[in-house]
Amino acid sequence: MNCLEFRRLLLQDPFADDPAMHEHEQACGQCNHYAKEQRAQEARMRDMFDQITPPPELAENIQLAVRLDQRGQSRRQVWFAAAASVLLIVGATITSLVTESWERGNMALAQSVLNHVNDEAHHLREAGPVDNTRVRFVFARFGAELVGDVGQINFAAECLMRKRNGVHLVLPGKQGPVTAFFMPGEMTEKAIPVESERFQGLISPTPWGSVAVVGEHGENLQGLAEQLGNAVRWPAEQASVGAGDLTAPAVFVAQK
Amino acid sequence: MGQLNKQFDSLVKALTPELYRYAMGLCHNPDTANDLVQETFLRAWRSQNTLRDVKTARAWLYTILRNENARLYERQRPEVRDPHTLPAVPVRGYDTSTEAFTLRRALTRLELQYREPLLLQTIGGFSCKEIGGMLDLKPNTVLTRLFRARKMLREMLENTQQSELEKLS
Repeated sequence: MNCLEFRRLLLQDPFADDPAMHEHEQACGQCNHYAKEQRAQEARMRDMFDQITPPPELAENIQLAVRLDQRGQSRRQVWFAAAASVLLIVGATITSLVTESWERGNMALAQSVLNHVNDEAHHLREAGPVDNTRVRFVFARFGAELVGDVGQINFAAECLMRKRNGVHLVLPGKQGPVTAFFMPGEMTEKAIPVESERFQGLISPTPWGSVAVVGEHGENLQGLAEQLGNAVRWPAEQASVGAGDLTAPAVFVAQK
Repeated sequence: MGQLNKQFDSLVKALTPELYRYAMGLCHNPDTANDLVQETFLRAWRSQNTLRDVKTARAWLYTILRNENARLYERQRPEVRDPHTLPAVPVRGYDTSTEAFTLRRALTRLELQYREPLLLQTIGGFSCKEIGGMLDLKPNTVLTRLFRARKMLREMLENTQQSELEKLS
């Protein structure tokens, strides 16, 4: 080991227990002196730090801070649990209210459909058939287009249903006349049954609103609302345009 | 939880003095050193589940303190007192000899990349491998930094001694 190597190792760790270093230190007077100086400085530095004592209350303060943090965490957990419970209750209440509101809305729509049929029962006596051009014209007022077969139509008019204009059709059924309402903007989540002493029917959801079909008891209405809905193509924006649209005049025309 | 608290309390009692010394070596400010040690133990408590081996707790705490010090400097750059002056708050065992003041000043002048491994070896007694793990350095790099740190320190102290002698003559 030469002096350079010895001093490099010494400065890396002045107290290294290396036989080769000891040997060189014994043999080289200058390096021996250098090592003594270095170790003295090292010892001074260690002493300087070792003498420093932290404030006596530091450890206690740390323990206290940890306890407080621990309690805070527990308290936070309790608060989180309480907040979660409250949110759950609020969520359940809102869901229940929304569902109830939906149910009430559905019932109201079904009642409006029945009222409309009863109020305009005279249209049920229309013998028809209405000219196909007339039917197309009524739908065209909504930007809608007949694209399928709707069969014989005895009455076709634009009418007002719950603040929105729609299309009112009367079709011949096996048990008697069947009323169909095309109600743009009347959005429903699912099919709503319509029931009264005299009539029965169904309101079916469509992408632009809903279609209601109402007939005498015993009338087979299964699939009729869907068939009628598929026979008419509505413009994509119809639902939003039709919603709350009070500007278009309601036309009640009995076509003979 | 009680057992865990006891273990942690023992750790606090056993390691607070040396961590405080290391903090003083890093910042030379007793108030900041207090805060650093307290924050170190709080962080350790909050993430003690990440500690897999209790034997490594000591090195782990040193690493947290070192990171906390770096974060503190990024956040607010706390006042580093001139080591030639006495701390504003009395520190028990603070060496007030001229030699100690000179040594502290020289240490402060060392760049952090050299001062950190030197303090970890001198105060913590960690091996090169352990220091390398804590500073994310290869052991050879740690050795090089230790060599340079002591060389620079030695030169600074010799220069100070020389200028003091010149003043006297």
